[in-house]
Amino acid sequence: MSMVMERSLKYLDERLGTSSLARKTLRKVFPDHWSFLLGEIALFCLVVLIFTGTFLTFFYTPSVREVVYEGPYAPLKGAEVSAAYNSVLRLSFEVRAGLLMRQIHHWAALVFSAAIVIHLCRIFFTGAFRRPREVNWLVGVGLLFLTLGEGFTGYSLPDDLLSGIGLRIFYSVTLAIPVVGTWVTYLLFGGEFPAPDIISRLFVFHIMLIPALLLALVGVHLAILVLQKHTQFPGHGKTERNVVGKRLWPEQTFKSVSLLLFTTAVLALLGGIAQINPIWQYGPFVPYSVTSPAQPDWYIGFLDGALRLGPPLDLNLFGFTISEVFWPAILFPGIAFGILTLWPWIERRFTRDRAEHHLLDSPRDTPVRTGIGTAGLMVFFIMFLEGGNDIFGVLLNVPVETVTRILQWSLVIGPVVTFLVTYWVCRSLSRSRLHPAHISAGLRLSRTPDGGYETVSLEPATDDSEREPTPAS
Amino acid sequence: MTDSDRQGSERVDLDRQTEQGPTLTGGQRRAERRTAIALGVAILAGIGLFIVYFAGGQTQIEGILFFIAFGGFGIALGVWANHLLDAREVVEERHELTSGAAGRQALGDALTEEVGPVLGRRSVLIKLLAGAGGALGLALLLPVLSLGPAPGNSLKVTPWARGKRVVDETGELVTVDTVPEDGFLTVFPEGNVGAADAQTLLIHVRPGSLKLPPERMAGVPEGTFVAYSKICTHAGCPVGLYRAESQTLICPCHQSQFDVSDGAIPFFGPAARPLPQLPLGVDQEGVLIAQGDFSAPVGPAFWDMNRGR
Repeated sequence: MSMVMERSLKYLDERLGTSSLARKTLRKVFPDHWSFLLGEIALFCLVVLIFTGTFLTFFYTPSVREVVYEGPYAPLKGAEVSAAYNSVLRLSFEVRAGLLMRQIHHWAALVFSAAIVIHLCRIFFTGAFRRPREVNWLVGVGLLFLTLGEGFTGYSLPDDLLSGIGLRIFYSVTLAIPVVGTWVTYLLFGGEFPAPDIISRLFVFHIMLIPALLLALVGVHLAILVLQKHTQFPGHGKTERNVVGKRLWPEQTFKSVSLLLFTTAVLALLGGIAQINPIWQYGPFVPYSVTSPAQPDWYIGFLDGALRLGPPLDLNLFGFTISEVFWPAILFPGIAFGILTLWPWIERRFTRDRAEHHLLDSPRDTPVRTGIGTAGLMVFFIMFLEGGNDIFGVLLNVPVETVTRILQWSLVIGPVVTFLVTYWVCRSLSRSRLHPAHISAGLRLSRTPDGGYETVSLEPATDDSEREPTPAS
Repeated sequence: MTDSDRQGSERVDLDRQTEQGPTLTGGQRRAERRTAIALGVAILAGIGLFIVYFAGGQTQIEGILFFIAFGGFGIALGVWANHLLDAREVVEERHELTSGAAGRQALGDALTEEVGPVLGRRSVLIKLLAGAGGALGLALLLPVLSLGPAPGNSLKVTPWARGKRVVDETGELVTVDTVPEDGFLTVFPEGNVGAADAQTLLIHVRPGSLKLPPERMAGVPEGTFVAYSKICTHAGCPVGLYRAESQTLICPCHQSQFDVSDGAIPFFGPAARPLPQLPLGVDQEGVLIAQGDFSAPVGPAFWDMNRGR
């Protein structure tokens, strides 16, 4: 131990008493598996989002006050635009590294939400939500909702034509809430669309309210993880009573920092060379104009697709109206996300499994859960595809009506087929002994002394002889 | 630690360990070289970023250089973690999460021990406490009501009114000669150009192609100038596409299609209600004027849209 290290440890220990806690933390064991890094990727995207987002706030003007665009982008010169749109154009064209920061921020948001969804799939398909982790499942689902809200509010801030249309649709969805829809909408938007307050309100939501909740829940998410210790896949020496893996320091720290740097590297590359949300091409928001085709960011795509697939069916209840928007944009997400939120309890009703689980399932060994999960994903995927029905129509040279009809039928048939196929594949894989956790080293063919042959199944290939796990101290 | 290492190396004469540290295996030496190269590349990319920034900045090159800098750094730490650390696989026992019945009892005691006799009974004080909390909570919610005006009738009416002259988006008056046959135009009431809820499509259809009941034909000057709300009754997008040959209006957002000749009734897509019609007339100068507001509330459905208009 060097003098400097000794001195600083002494200084801290005598004032904060940190030594024993810090030692315990450094020696904490985390199991090693690539799929356990998905949540980390989300976390690192959040780090990038906070840094780039802070930079963006220094240039953004949350106001719909009319100004005349005087910047270097010639096609819009002299156009009357909102101060918000103007400030994003200025950031993109006149602030050095501004466009890079904006594009990294947007890409980071897309990867952030994607990492969260894939992480959620990992948790779901391996049964990591089972007791004692139901609470953390709820926290995670809460994080997903906050992320969707954070994404949508951020996407709407530039006040361009595409995002303005998105806001208009969102306004129509809140209007469709039975009984209280008009009040909720007027309080949220500050009046009839396009109320001037909405941009400044979105800004407060995007940079303060939602991020504060998001960070608080991330803290809770990680605290519970540390408290309960990580789950692990079954395998040699791994039981319900232990955690087999590498210590936080040094290996996990090195690997995590490495992953943070890689994530940042990829986001920087995307932000640099892959154009995203070119708002100057869409033009400023004008309430009577529209872009075509119009697609939102990927994580809202399913909702836009649901709106396109929905039945043209409004209801009249004693003179009151239930909008056709209610079914696809309120009822469907309500049910789907309700099932998602309550899944640990729903599953328990059927399995009657109340035991603690720290060893993960292999998806093939739980064919019903895996089937329901893939069927659910299929529902969202079909809706996501329908969100681009106009683009598919042009690409495949078929009328958009055909695309929609096919996808409407797919929505009926697709999930059922997906469930059955998944179930069958899982059962077959489970019966075959090709189990990823028990990889066979193959068969040995040997000749017996009396001239016959016999096959001997070799033991699973592990290098345990060299690396026998050592008990943590 | 250094002391014990040195002692170890002194004891074993043949060991090549010297003050320069333990000998590396071939693999470790390669890993060390790779780490060094990766870090070197990261340094160069960092220097490159300085140059590019001060030379005026260039988004693509900056992105690529950031990628190389962060990526080089990341590779270095990754190689380091996999080959140069002396990390072992270890087993940590899980501890019991629960404190057991005794622990819970102790917590329960700690919660109740010193609160006195009042909380234990269902006393008036407890009820008043809940009442005061509830009243205060509701009162604190009141400022939320200031966030927006009461909806009132605002969603059911538009600036269109009897006698309002029709203008285009630049404010120019619209006459029967403005729009050619098969043409269409976005129009507003004079004085409300750009008003979101007043946006209207004026369509000049071919003579005799409209199939409207007589009372609605009364709002179609010359039997060819028909006007519908431009706000989609599905989710509120501007219905921006018109196919003249089939007299179809299409919403680009969710592809609802409306039959212009038949009262803008939706015949494909998610919209359930026709686009409301604006009854038009012509004044003495040939300028189109409104005969009143729309035939129904414009835009998407809401709870009380059909009550007390």
